[in-house]
Amino acid sequence: MKRLIFPVLLIVGILLVAIALPVRAQTYYFSVDESYVQVFWESDGSIRIEYIMVFTNDLSASPMEFIDIGMPNYEYDLSSIYGWINDQPIGHVEHSEYVSPGVEFGLQSNAIPPGGTGEFKASIGRVEGVVFDDYDDPNYASGKFAPHWYDKQNVFGRTDLTVVFHLPPGVEPEEPKWHSAPSGFPDEPETGFDSEGRIIYAWRNPSANAYTQYVFGASFPRKYVTTDAIREPVPEGEFFEPSRPSDFSGAIFGFLCVGGIILAFIGFIALAVHSDRSRKLAYLPPKLSIEGHGIKRGLTAIEAAILMETPLDRVLTMILFSTIKKNAAQVVSEDPLKIERITPQPVGLRTYEVDFLKAMIDEQPRKRRGALQDLMVSMVKSVQKKMKGFSLKETKNYYQAIMKKAWQQVEEAETPEVRSKLYDEGLEWTMLDRDFDDRTRRVFRTGPVYVPVWWGRYSPSSTPVTTTTRAPSTTPSAPRPSISRPTLPGAEFAASMVNGVQNAASNMVSNVVGFTNGVTKTTNPPPPPSRSRGGWSSGAGGSGCACACACACAGCACACAGGGR
Amino acid sequence: MKEPSSRNKGNEGAQVQPGLYGYTQEGNGDRSQIHLRVEADGHGLLLINANRAIHLNPTATLMAWLFLEGVPQKAAINALRKHFHVSGRTAKNDYQTVRDQIEQLIHPDGVCPVHDLELDLLPPFSEIPSAPYRMDLALTYRCNANCSHCYNSRSRDYPEISTDQWKTVIDKLWLTGVPHICFTGGESTLRNDLPDLIAHAKSTGQISGLLTNGIRLSDRNYMMSLVRAGLDHVQITIESHIPTVHDQMVGAPGAWEKTVQGIRNCLESEVFVMTNTTLLASNISPIGETIDFLAELGVPTVGCNALIYSGKGRSVGTGIQEHELGPILETVRQHTTANGQRLIWYTPTQYCHFDPVQMQLGVKGCSAARYNMCIEPNGDVIPCQSFYQTVGNILQDPWDEIWNHDLSLWLREREYVPEECQRCAMLNECGGGCPLTLMHQPDQIPINQVQLPDSTS
Repeated sequence: MKRLIFPVLLIVGILLVAIALPVRAQTYYFSVDESYVQVFWESDGSIRIEYIMVFTNDLSASPMEFIDIGMPNYEYDLSSIYGWINDQPIGHVEHSEYVSPGVEFGLQSNAIPPGGTGEFKASIGRVEGVVFDDYDDPNYASGKFAPHWYDKQNVFGRTDLTVVFHLPPGVEPEEPKWHSAPSGFPDEPETGFDSEGRIIYAWRNPSANAYTQYVFGASFPRKYVTTDAIREPVPEGEFFEPSRPSDFSGAIFGFLCVGGIILAFIGFIALAVHSDRSRKLAYLPPKLSIEGHGIKRGLTAIEAAILMETPLDRVLTMILFSTIKKNAAQVVSEDPLKIERITPQPVGLRTYEVDFLKAMIDEQPRKRRGALQDLMVSMVKSVQKKMKGFSLKETKNYYQAIMKKAWQQVEEAETPEVRSKLYDEGLEWTMLDRDFDDRTRRVFRTGPVYVPVWWGRYSPSSTPVTTTTRAPSTTPSAPRPSISRPTLPGAEFAASMVNGVQNAASNMVSNVVGFTNGVTKTTNPPPPPSRSRGGWSSGAGGSGCACACACACAGCACACAGGGR
Repeated sequence: MKEPSSRNKGNEGAQVQPGLYGYTQEGNGDRSQIHLRVEADGHGLLLINANRAIHLNPTATLMAWLFLEGVPQKAAINALRKHFHVSGRTAKNDYQTVRDQIEQLIHPDGVCPVHDLELDLLPPFSEIPSAPYRMDLALTYRCNANCSHCYNSRSRDYPEISTDQWKTVIDKLWLTGVPHICFTGGESTLRNDLPDLIAHAKSTGQISGLLTNGIRLSDRNYMMSLVRAGLDHVQITIESHIPTVHDQMVGAPGAWEKTVQGIRNCLESEVFVMTNTTLLASNISPIGETIDFLAELGVPTVGCNALIYSGKGRSVGTGIQEHELGPILETVRQHTTANGQRLIWYTPTQYCHFDPVQMQLGVKGCSAARYNMCIEPNGDVIPCQSFYQTVGNILQDPWDEIWNHDLSLWLREREYVPEECQRCAMLNECGGGCPLTLMHQPDQIPINQVQLPDSTS
């Protein structure tokens, strides 16, 4: 049996070697003025990482066109990774050709010029295989994290480095332990809670540098992480080598490039585990809380979509469908989309529906996009206002539950007619689902669909088959009027619906990404990483508190007092 | 500023020990009663005037205790640094923040903890306390009225424990961490030792209240004897501004005159006064006028509840269906708002039928064996004053057995919730409504038959 490297104390871990190489075989010389890194340890054993780095490129250096970020292993989800440079989304996010495992961000037109400064942000949504057994305590799991570092010859100056751990949800204040801090950092991290109530450890050194490996670690009860996700630590003699997918091109070169660094890192770990690890309980900031009511009911599906950060093109489509369903408008041209009002206008249109029709019908095409952006900004602010005093989390869960219920009813319907009817009735809610397209296809894979009456006003070019059905009669001897409703094969309708949802917005504003950026520039949902310890608060989320007012408290003694005698 | 209860533990060495601590703050003619319950794990519960519950983590608990004990700031910060690995600057800043928050919270007209202080919000009914916030003491089941809808299920001559035994009960409740006691029945004013028991509760540091039909309070001297003994608040049942309606509902001719006089007497004293009215078919028609009448009397706070399906309430037949409550409460609210009165709604309902939150009446769910319980005249403990199944005897059984009795857990963990409600998005707040309603009016919605665990009686 192999002896383990960490026979007594062990924890460890995740070898997160995050290496940023903002360079490509030219003359690179830069400073990292600030680096703020947040690591979210999740219940499923994965981590989410957020970087904020401020680079200053030296006057004599080449433009910085790419930034490469090393990954701890190959178990990262590329689709979960986003980047921003000076708050502009980075479109080029790919597996790195130079750092393996790693990801490259192509700055393109936003390259940092010589003498220039740029704020780079990255969100790595999911990396698995990063939580390990803690051999010091069989009931604990642990992880270590080292943020990026660089070749010393490429960097200059000091770095204000902050690393923040968000421990898994549910960890109690007295349970977690931090590991020894790297040299230059306070012995004990600052501790506190984030907006989700998760415990945070924060290490900061305003005089760090960008070429030293700084390793941070924490241990917490393993019960807060899915058991299957906890790995065994690295045995002695088997230096950590990330597993690689067989189809990962360019990995060998990248790995060799950083191999020396990885070995050095392992050596560092081996030494570190013999040093003391803090066993002191954390001072956690005082926390006062009150039981209260958290759900904001009464939002429309479209408002709920704003709250749940549904893509804005989907929201636009929802408003379009809503006006058509209410018989307030009809489509006269699908591409480019042109609609006209139906008179008389129905009563009870929402403000955003009225504004939408105004933008789509009354505005000149070149002004339409701006008007729709204004509408979206207004809606986000309106929802923010409505959410004030209510719990974002609980409210999102509430509307998520409504969405699921709507799907459930559709999927459990026993006849095509009932299924079609329920789908039509719940469409606003099912459209909140990120999986709306595929789920619609699955639901209507077989059997006919009774096309909603309003669909013809949206898609006049569709040619449903008109069939005649007989309404069920309770008295066979008494014939009842037959009803005619158009039907389509299910798959055809599903394709038509999905295409409609996917294309409607682009037919309205042509450049959906540009449209969204125009809105998020003002409202900022979803935001790039922030320095807030609360992590990612949403644009429409409100304050995160939950009570309509103090009188809504549940935990007071007036609950069900005596009476009724 | 602070006047610690005589039973507070010492603050030597600034070490807070588990237990209940009571404080009184007076100033500008106002008075606040504050209780800090410190749990064995260091967490705390701050109860302000028995109607606002603030949950504290261990750091906040120690800070609150240091502040309420009047420990000088420098000594308090030293104490914090002795307990925690914390810098002096952080300790000072955090301590000042907590001190400021508590100062604002304990003011009688204090700030909204949510909007003004932005305290963290916990889901309703998510915190399981170690003991109720309030214990109702049903001193006797005897009564000088005979309400047709009364929830009492016991015989009127139910055995009663002695004055000394009740004092022992009160002492035990303090040690258990219960800061608030309500004397009820039956009609507890029929016990001649009521002033003595109120005084005893006062001496322990507990807040005491009285739930009464008000008949005996028409005797001003008697009423004042209760106030002098230390009574903090009184809730008087009045069913209508129309004497005949009230008298008929309470089954006592001439009761209305005495009840109203009792209200007047209380309003002339310093005791906090509220009324309660059960909304039934027999009194809802002119409910707005009843509210206005109470406003004319000067009643600042009006309570209302629906029929409790216990005792005669199960068969009286005048109960209002939950789905019919909305318009009635809307009328009540319009009148209380116009009169500047505070409205308190008590009854847990199924929110699919009547949602008190959407009517801004607050989150109302069953709080039996969670925030409140009741002790019967013989010392038996029942989950609430209307749920007549015993979970132990306060004089004979350890508190843990009572608190963790199967029936207590059954209620606290909401095992009674019908299957149909389990997937409801509002279940957290609603809790399925009142268990008594579920058991005795199961046809309100199609629910499964509620199964009770075994009781000790």
